[in-house]
Amino acid sequence: MSNSHENVGRAVAVADFRSMAKVSVGQVLGLVEAIDEVGGVADVATISQEVDMDLDRLGPVLAAAEFLGLLTVEDGDVRMTDLSRKLLSASVRERKAILRRVIDDIPVFRMVLDAARQARRPLERQEVLDSIAARAGSHQAEDLFKALVYWGRYVELVQYDSRAEQLRLRSPSK
Amino acid sequence: MKDVTKSFFENGKEFKVLEPLRFGLAERDFVCVVGPSGCGKSTLLRIIVGLEPPTSGQVLFEGQPIRADNPQVAMVFQSFALFPWLTVQQNVELGLEAKGTHPEERQRIARKFIEAVGLTGFEDAYPRELSGGMKQRVGIARALGIEPLLLCMDEPFSSLDPLTAQNLRDEILQLWSNPDLPPRAVLMVTHAIEEAVYMADRVIVLSSRPGRMVAELSIDLPRPRNRKEPEFYGWVDEIYSLIV
Ligand SMILES: Nc1ncnc2c1ncn2[C@@H]1O[C@H](COP(=O)(O)OP(=O)(O)OP(=O)(O)O)[C@@H](O)[C@H]1O
Ligand SMILES: [Mg+2]
Repeated sequence: MSNSHENVGRAVAVADFRSMAKVSVGQVLGLVEAIDEVGGVADVATISQEVDMDLDRLGPVLAAAEFLGLLTVEDGDVRMTDLSRKLLSASVRERKAILRRVIDDIPVFRMVLDAARQARRPLERQEVLDSIAARAGSHQAEDLFKALVYWGRYVELVQYDSRAEQLRLRSPSK
Repeated sequence: MKDVTKSFFENGKEFKVLEPLRFGLAERDFVCVVGPSGCGKSTLLRIIVGLEPPTSGQVLFEGQPIRADNPQVAMVFQSFALFPWLTVQQNVELGLEAKGTHPEERQRIARKFIEAVGLTGFEDAYPRELSGGMKQRVGIARALGIEPLLLCMDEPFSSLDPLTAQNLRDEILQLWSNPDLPPRAVLMVTHAIEEAVYMADRVIVLSSRPGRMVAELSIDLPRPRNRKEPEFYGWVDEIYSLIV
């Protein structure tokens, strides 16, 4: 029982992490800023109008922001969190550090980072794809890989050479 | 800008784009130029950065006529103007290469400005691996890398989605508020009046083509500005009424 619960939880997490492959850091931060500007809470329709983006385009940004713990969505109301308030008042470098902690905790991400740490050599794109596929299904692997590289680069945990198709760890600049 | 005009000539016919324009930029000025489509805003910037000669008049830089290769003026383009086969680091270093900076120094300066625009981690990424907002950040890092006194930006946000654009506006204002970083003045062209009121100390309003200066307004709203406040809307409405 508990096992199947865990699997359900993980499936949801993977699905939401996939939304992060469709959005950029700038969009997520832009959305948080927009909600801050209207007082920290607003319904989805108001936000869509406010930022001049239809729900099809806004949806993945909302999902990603919620997944990162920057917004909560309940009964159609979108609300800022303590974490996003902290994020908005932070410098560029502090923002990365805050999001690094969140991203480092995402199971798929953790799995790949651990593998890279243990391997003590760059990981080939294909091996990473394979291990993501084993965990999340092959139809999602490409999207998840893309999200991993993009967000991993942003929080300075991942270095990826797209010519050699090799991924390695990097230590964040101080 | 001293009585600068611009006309294009085709088959011996004159096509006037800019009427005599005169304005100055001072230290720590953030100036936006707004005006209807086709009124000559981009042409004005191209003249200032030396990509295009004026038909008459002069652009003076610290009292001297500006040179086409003046390294103290840098430009950020709407289309980003990145080289797709170069990495982020290489794209940023490019401006410094033209300036003749030593390779090691080039690398150091490029890293500094990549960090300033929040792109540390993407040094070895190619433009196609970046989101739109990040591509424009590369354009900004490249422009700032040459440590210009004047930064010109031609509709830098207009090919970005609204969320990305707003986020980048805020981060540019954050960079601008740090007086230790270049540039010393910004001249930005936009057709979005709200954007001009959000960002500028001064707004220059041009008429439809041929562009002439209709007004020059000092936006004295405190920063950070709130686009929801009535004072903000007062400015936006005033500029709208000047353009239509
Ligand atoms: N090299 C050129 N030769 C001939 N005409 C030109 C040239 N460059 C621009 N023009 C014309 O000059 C006018 C002003 O162009 P410009 O690009 O400066 O306008 P703009 O205000 O930047 O417009 P937009 O808001 O659409 O960007 C336009 O009518 C344009 O067609
Ligand atoms: Mg233009």
